[in-house]
Amino acid sequence: MNLYLNQISAIVWKDFVTELKTRELFSAMFIFALLVILIFIFSVNLSIVNASEVGPGILWVAFLFSGTLGLNRSFVIEKENGCLMGLILAPADRTAIYFGKLISNLVFLSIMELFILPLFMIFFNIDILEHLLPLLLVIFLGTLGFCSLGTLLSSLASNLKTREIMLPILLYPLLIPIVIGVVRMTGQVLAGEPLSEMMNWIGLTASFDIIYIGVSIMTIDHILEE
Amino acid sequence: MVDNSKPNSSDIAIEVSQLRKEFGVLRAVDGVSFDLKRGEFLSIFGPNGAGKTTLIKILTGLTRPSSGTAKVAGYDVEEGVPAMRREIGVISHSSALYADLTPMENLVFFGKMYGVEYPQESAQTALEDVGLAPRRHDRVRTFSRGMLQRLSIARSILHDPSILFLDEPFTGLDIHASNVLKEHLQTLHNKKRTILMTTHDVSCGLEMCDKVALQVAGRFAFFEDIKDIDKENFETLYFDAVRNNQFTMSIRPH
Repeated sequence: MNLYLNQISAIVWKDFVTELKTRELFSAMFIFALLVILIFIFSVNLSIVNASEVGPGILWVAFLFSGTLGLNRSFVIEKENGCLMGLILAPADRTAIYFGKLISNLVFLSIMELFILPLFMIFFNIDILEHLLPLLLVIFLGTLGFCSLGTLLSSLASNLKTREIMLPILLYPLLIPIVIGVVRMTGQVLAGEPLSEMMNWIGLTASFDIIYIGVSIMTIDHILEE
Repeated sequence: MVDNSKPNSSDIAIEVSQLRKEFGVLRAVDGVSFDLKRGEFLSIFGPNGAGKTTLIKILTGLTRPSSGTAKVAGYDVEEGVPAMRREIGVISHSSALYADLTPMENLVFFGKMYGVEYPQESAQTALEDVGLAPRRHDRVRTFSRGMLQRLSIARSILHDPSILFLDEPFTGLDIHASNVLKEHLQTLHNKKRTILMTTHDVSCGLEMCDKVALQVAGRFAFFEDIKDIDKENFETLYFDAVRNNQFTMSIRPH
């Protein structure tokens, strides 16, 4: 168990050191998310439309589309110089590789979201501070589901020539239940409703998070095999 | 009566029987069988597309055979158990090193993945062994092919494996880097590591090995002890095999 946890933390550590040196992933995700929000700001007339109604959808479009950029890179850096082969040859359970990459993706995406949230608040003139904790819980549930499925599919797509195209095609349809859940919950949170009012959505999103992680554990061994 | 000509199973590092790998209609590995004792060095020669890399991929558990059996360090390769992977080190065409990390960071990372007890110290020792200690804090991206290959060796022996698989390790190396690599391999051979190497470099391959194999069109056309072959004749045979992709001559000593 100790070795298993050490292997997971080694992968996370390696991804962080690489990102600190290159800053490729964070800067690409952040700029993309910012651009999405800016485009919507200029295209939506906020004097007519209620910002707390359109805001959640725009926020999640920014998170998911920029997150896909990050997921695409996630296993591509492992394919460069055959590093994935080096990982697979290590005496590690393949799920350790999956969880290492999942945690890295989750943390990178969460950091980007934390940078985007204040900008979203300013641009849409929505006070998120009074609903911050429920909002962070909703964002965490959505990001976990996105990353758990995205990490699995990113490992699958990394073997394909058309991986940049295939990842979103595979990912977005399967994410629909989570996207519907988190967009609805984000809207309710911004409208000031308590979490107890949205237990069904929380249950649905959390269930899909668990299902996607479970499916990943069961299939990652076959996916990582050549 | 016990047949003493056959090694005990505990003496055998690699045991391959009727191994086949098919990709559609193509048989990349076609009925290969051989045993390699612990501490032996096998050089496998063969033209491009002969199935050498596929054979190594099967033996290291990277791909599954279509049929036949293979055991490495006593473990069935199809089971792909972590215990088997702990026993092997692999150097392939690609370096399996992260270009944006330093050699030290790469080796510490792989040390942790292999469960090496003191990854920092082991990485330092491995870097000194391959002569890269002065460059330990430079990014791997800045390294030459020869340096990458030496670092690959350091990565592959970090966890002290008993069996090493090398897939054309001399490719792209200049004569100096080639000699340095040869020295490292000789040292590992002297330390009784079992080594299986595929190469196109006939003189290097024959110089270091105990056993020689020639793989043509997926099959082992030839598998002999180095002392039982005529080296000059073997070279002729090898070039003939590369040219015609078939095995036509006898190469036993006259």
